[in-house]
Amino acid sequence: MASQSNDPRLPSAARPYKAPVIAPQDLPIDYSGFIAVIFGVFGAMFRYKLCSWLAIIFCAQSLANMRNIENDLKQISMAMM
Amino acid sequence: MAIRSSSSLLRLKSPLSLLLPRGDAFLYLFALLSIFSLLLHHLTPAAAQPHFEGFDADEDDDFALGEPKSEEFIRSSPPPITLSTSTPESHHGPPDTDPSQIQSPPSDQNPKPASFDYWDEDEFEGIPPTEPITETTAAAAAAASESDPVPSSEDSVNDLNSDAKVPWKITSFTVEIACVSFLIVFAINYFTGKKENENLALAWASKFATKDSIFDKNFSLLGVGETDDSPLLLQEGKSVFKFYASGRRYCSGLLATMELKSRHDLISRLYNMVVPCKDEITFEVYMNDDSMDQVVFAMARKKMAKTMQKELRDLQRFAGLVNPPNGRKWVADELQVVSESKEVATDLITDAVLDQVFGDKAFEKFGKGFISMHLSDQQPGSSKKMLIFKFALPDKNNMADMTRLVALVPYYIDLIGRYKLSSHARSKTEAARAKVAQELYKELQYARQDALQKKKAEQRKKLEEAEAKLSAEALRKKEAKDRSRQMKKAMPKMKMTKAH
Repeated sequence: MASQSNDPRLPSAARPYKAPVIAPQDLPIDYSGFIAVIFGVFGAMFRYKLCSWLAIIFCAQSLANMRNIENDLKQISMAMM
Repeated sequence: MAIRSSSSLLRLKSPLSLLLPRGDAFLYLFALLSIFSLLLHHLTPAAAQPHFEGFDADEDDDFALGEPKSEEFIRSSPPPITLSTSTPESHHGPPDTDPSQIQSPPSDQNPKPASFDYWDEDEFEGIPPTEPITETTAAAAAAASESDPVPSSEDSVNDLNSDAKVPWKITSFTVEIACVSFLIVFAINYFTGKKENENLALAWASKFATKDSIFDKNFSLLGVGETDDSPLLLQEGKSVFKFYASGRRYCSGLLATMELKSRHDLISRLYNMVVPCKDEITFEVYMNDDSMDQVVFAMARKKMAKTMQKELRDLQRFAGLVNPPNGRKWVADELQVVSESKEVATDLITDAVLDQVFGDKAFEKFGKGFISMHLSDQQPGSSKKMLIFKFALPDKNNMADMTRLVALVPYYIDLIGRYKLSSHARSKTEAARAKVAQELYKELQYARQDALQKKKAEQRKKLEEAEAKLSAEALRKKEAKDRSRQMKKAMPKMKMTKAH
């Protein structure tokens, strides 16, 4: 648009980007991971092969959808314990 | 122009890292998981059977019985992962299928005859069958650890095929075949989709954020780092990209978030075939506190504007739908303006904007990607004065389509920065804000009072409980007293007479 009469830039006001800090418990819910766990439990309980396979597939999905590895690894290690 | 991906920090050395440098962490985990689960699958039945066989072998030393058992044991011993799918078959197979077992890939030929020999000798000597089990499992584990992540899945497919040649039922493999092939497609799609998303984001950045582009002319600092050659885009996950710019009059910063379709995820890709969605980009402009007047304004397509008015808190409190004024050019028919007052709406929809984007004719051509805009000094969250623009991204070859939409962002920053409400309108807006502030204050007070009352109630409860305890003790004492009194009453029946 034509209304920029002079240079609007203001280097003095530049502030570097600060990434918002998100606590691990505020992360969006990992639905696919949740589904994977449910299928895994069912597969183990009823010895039903398809359930275990679905669990693997959803596990792969949740791995593919990891947002930032550090936070998620934190969560996973917590879950392991 | 580089993408700094937060996910590539963790690098695990796998042999595939040469081919696929980024996602090896994912691959590694994925392979481990699949191997682990398959191991579990085949260990469970295998672990169950030798247990009972061990009991039997001790009791009856019958050779005729021992022979088939030994075969059964061999087949139920956990094979290497690569041969995973053969076990479920073997339980149903005839007892003389040994040659077919030997036909299977050479990797597991060695352990089996060995275990067979061991077993036969042991059978006659009466040594418990634990040794061969540990050996075969060790061999299986070794084979598993040696096998690479992806080759293992490929091997299993090959084995499936080789198994299919053997005259066994193929139907019992359908689940495995389907799942493994789905996983392979999933893995391929993961890499292609990731690349696609990155290309789209890079196309946007090269169009609008390189030298002499619109953002370079408006902001002195581009990118997420502090120096000039820092990466422009910040990748978050596989489908979210962020672009940050700062150093401009009236605003402290601009954050553009590209939320692309999750092309890397096959399941959501399939889901999106049913429920289509768009690649979206959201510009959040954080205005300086002193350079934004009390303005609440939003515009979107009709349906969306109505839901925004109902759902967004500031619009719900301060703004209402604005009907197009008479005798003035107005936005295209599809659009609906939500604003605090008519004055704000008419001032913010200037002739230039109508000409460029929002007018009837221009909107058909250039407004396709427009989703919504929301300018407000009462946004929820940490920074209250914020302008939010939401656009749909075109494909990477037609990035120029959204040039005019992107140009709206700096235009509105200037417009809002210079805009001053008339005194009449300002008094109205101030009254409204004061009212809302009062309501908020009241709510806060209510909440505080509620909290206080709850505390009091709790204290009272505690006291009552203590009293109840006390009173219970008192009751007991009273009862004891009563009893003793009754005893006393009962006692005097035996009257004592005093000897005079």
